[in-house]
Amino acid sequence: MPPCWPAGCSTPPASTTDGDYAGETVEFLIPLAEGGGTDTWARFIGTELTRTVPGQPGFAPVNEAGGEGITGTNRFVVSARADGTEVLVSTATTVVPWLLKKPAVRYDFTKLTPILANGTGAVVYARSAAGVAGLKDLVDRQTPLKFGGITATGLDLTTLLAFDLLEMDVDAVFGFEGRGPVNLALQRGEIDIDYTTTSTYASALKPLVDEKSAVALFSLGQVDAQGEIVRDPNFKDLPTVVEAYEELHGSKPSGPKLEAYKTVLGVTYTYQKALWVPPDTPKEASETLRTSAEKLGKDEAFQTAAKKVLGGYPLDASADLVGRITKAYEVDSTVRQHIVELLKNSYNINVE
Amino acid sequence: MFDAALSALSSLADPSLLIMLAIGVFAGLVMGLIPGLGGTGAVAILMPITFGMQPEQAFALLIGALAVVHTSDTVSAVLLGAPGSASASVTMLDGYAMARKGQAKRALSLAFLSSMAGGLIGALGLTLAIPLARPLVLSFASPELFMLTVLGVSLAAVLSRGNIVKGLLAGFLGLLLGQVGTSPTTAEERFTFGSLFLGDGLSLVAVALGIFGLAEIASRVGQRTVDKDMVGLGGGWMSGIKEWLTHWSQVIRGALIGIWAGVLPGVGATAGTWLAYGQAVATAKDKRNFGKGDPRGIVGPESSNNSVEAGDLIPTLLFGIPGGVPSAMLLGMLLTYGIQPGPAIVTEHLNLMYLIVWCFAIASILGAFLCFLATPSLAKLTKVPFAVLGAGLLVIMLLGAFQEGGQIGDLWIMIILGAVGWLMKATDTPRAPFLIGFVLAIPMERYYYLTDSLYDGLGWLTRPGVLVFLAVLIAPALLALVKRTRKSAPDLGHRGEDDLSHGEEDEAEDGQLKDSIWSLGLALGVTLIFGTALAVSQSFSAEAQLMPRLVSIGGLITGLILLWKELRARRSIGDGPGWTHDVTIAMRMFAAMALFLVLVMLGGYLLAVALFVPAFLLFVARATPRTTIIYTLVLCAVLLTLPSILPVDLPTGLLQS
Repeated sequence: MPPCWPAGCSTPPASTTDGDYAGETVEFLIPLAEGGGTDTWARFIGTELTRTVPGQPGFAPVNEAGGEGITGTNRFVVSARADGTEVLVSTATTVVPWLLKKPAVRYDFTKLTPILANGTGAVVYARSAAGVAGLKDLVDRQTPLKFGGITATGLDLTTLLAFDLLEMDVDAVFGFEGRGPVNLALQRGEIDIDYTTTSTYASALKPLVDEKSAVALFSLGQVDAQGEIVRDPNFKDLPTVVEAYEELHGSKPSGPKLEAYKTVLGVTYTYQKALWVPPDTPKEASETLRTSAEKLGKDEAFQTAAKKVLGGYPLDASADLVGRITKAYEVDSTVRQHIVELLKNSYNINVE
Repeated sequence: MFDAALSALSSLADPSLLIMLAIGVFAGLVMGLIPGLGGTGAVAILMPITFGMQPEQAFALLIGALAVVHTSDTVSAVLLGAPGSASASVTMLDGYAMARKGQAKRALSLAFLSSMAGGLIGALGLTLAIPLARPLVLSFASPELFMLTVLGVSLAAVLSRGNIVKGLLAGFLGLLLGQVGTSPTTAEERFTFGSLFLGDGLSLVAVALGIFGLAEIASRVGQRTVDKDMVGLGGGWMSGIKEWLTHWSQVIRGALIGIWAGVLPGVGATAGTWLAYGQAVATAKDKRNFGKGDPRGIVGPESSNNSVEAGDLIPTLLFGIPGGVPSAMLLGMLLTYGIQPGPAIVTEHLNLMYLIVWCFAIASILGAFLCFLATPSLAKLTKVPFAVLGAGLLVIMLLGAFQEGGQIGDLWIMIILGAVGWLMKATDTPRAPFLIGFVLAIPMERYYYLTDSLYDGLGWLTRPGVLVFLAVLIAPALLALVKRTRKSAPDLGHRGEDDLSHGEEDEAEDGQLKDSIWSLGLALGVTLIFGTALAVSQSFSAEAQLMPRLVSIGGLITGLILLWKELRARRSIGDGPGWTHDVTIAMRMFAAMALFLVLVMLGGYLLAVALFVPAFLLFVARATPRTTIIYTLVLCAVLLTLPSILPVDLPTGLLQS
């Protein structure tokens, strides 16, 4: 919770509409605990971004952890100053509950203004000893593959939708503490199939593939500007889910399963981490932030320094970002219905 | 390998690295002193400073802090009976007992020296364990991890002072409380009654500081003068070192257990310190003094809780899997510097690995040395009347608990648990199993569920690792049972002595209210809680109700046994103490704490402190007006400056905004 000093409360409204943030402090609301991937990302981007914004405003990261990110984000939409000095950090943890319309969620990403976005990708892999050598071993199995998950209503959802689309024989067990422990459980032979995001690929999967104890199957892919699924630039050699479908079933996928997968992939991977300002923020103020971010993203020194933090995906803040994000975050009610029913029927989880 | 180690050492000759290390150590010590901040706070304050630094400097800073947090967090546990972390609660058992006997200096010296050795052995272990880490981590599957959590809770129940039935009941209660919040397996909310605040579960710091710290304030605030024998006994530093050296084997054993436990992500750190204590008790010939200030009860656990931090670095660096929040933050740092954790780190960044090892070792020595030097002045804290100390302690503990989630609700929970803790203390119910149960509840459920889903039937019970743990689990329980039946006769006589000594006001031992209407009430209340929990858990999904049901049934049975014992004791001994003077004082103290919180909610923290502390000092502690004014001014000045130098937020009140 931000300290509210008598002096701090009576500061005059910020003058951020003149394209100059001199003398201001930009506060990042990070709705998760210190130290996680999102926190590190936000602190790094925030430090660099405020150095690029004209007038070089101060930077104040505020962690408001609680309710799986819902508490802090709820608080932001109710009380954040709409002058470009308060910025919300979002990630899959807060996006999925919004997507599923959980009762506790009071925020709506379609009503906020995006400043920048940064995506990630993932690779699905399986244990060789479970009898998986390639895509063909994923269907028509005698014993289903065991998938290790954290919770079906988190980032795992995207992978589950991919399994559903591909009609794979998978039994999911949830309750793991994190992706790291799942990876260890796979090495111990407790589970058979898992996924790893791009940032942990080198530590979690590459050594296993090198020693041939695991096989990389397909990438989740990326959503492009037209809303189509394309190959992940970090895994150019791996087929996407769509290509895997064609190989397994001999035709292009279509229908509600594909639509649901595309939507969820967009909001949980391609635009996974994003910065937002309240809807009433003057356009000048939010544009100053966005153009600064765009400039930052093109800076070569930044690109080198931020290579690992950005995870091999660009800092996306181009002029058409608002349009693309708006499109990606438009979740059709049939898509939502499909997901809710899948969770209920296959995983016995009642969202509503 | 040897060359790399030496070249890493020579890079530490760089003064900028040494300065960073020293700053880290200093920050870590300060953070450890304040109950509730600890390693997470230390890394949180230091991390933003490191952006833009060279990786070597950044790591020197962070490792410096991490290595010493568990050195200085002993201070509040030993001197004030307020452990800021679950592992410090182990040192508290004997450390606090020793300090209350007037040997605070001895207890602290032993603890600091052991911390140092634990850190050093940990650093060495970090180096040697690198090639062994992978097979070790991979040999611990879900069933073994589940058994480890069971072992942690039951060791605490069996080994704490007080009887086993009460210990088990406390353990079950902790396990139940740990299940408040989101279930780890199905993500549904349990026992939250629709509150988003409870959905995250209760804050560990609030629970630990409430059940121990606030309870301690309430039970000792009646003392306006200092017990004469509380003043630190003499004995120079050399005698401290000499005594410590006689326990060298305990130090090494504790450190080894710590490294081993730290390597297992998630459950290791908490269970490890208990295992260190457990082996100290199990291997001792004369066990009578444990829990009453036995040096072996301090040395082993203290050595292990520092080496746990080193052990914890192994999965963080080699697998990218952190065991706790501090190492998670360290992991974040590694990634920002483009250093990919994983087995390859040993070949690609060997120099950095050794730098971390050296920093850990040097920081351990430096931190323990500084604490050791400060021991005589720290021990003087016990000379301050507790009533005077109590006001400041209350303010600092509540502030510490507020930092974790920034929720006033945590503070209310802390006060309620303070009252529960006081009742447990007064009725001789051990509180350590409660805290350990609370910490291990979620891991226990997680690994039980995973074991159940991933293995067919009960075949997992025959895995070699599980069998070893089962043996460790059952052996001390049997031994303790045998001993209890043998010793039951002299035990009764001993209790008679205790009752006699209660005539002296200052000898405020635990358990004054046992075998009374209070202990009967506690047993009844807890039994009812388990009954209610059993009923409420029927509404959860099949997977989510598994663990709450097991815990409730276990608690219900234990509670009924205790009730029967209580009733039988009433028949043979009589009604026991009723509404005593101490009860009145404690009740008033909790009412005062509640009043303070109401003030905080209305006018904010600073205003509440400015009103509450002088009133408390004048009317409860009967301090002089001069002391009162200076005390309040200093406290307010500290609270005013704290937010600008540490990552500390003060609660704001309704009237402020």
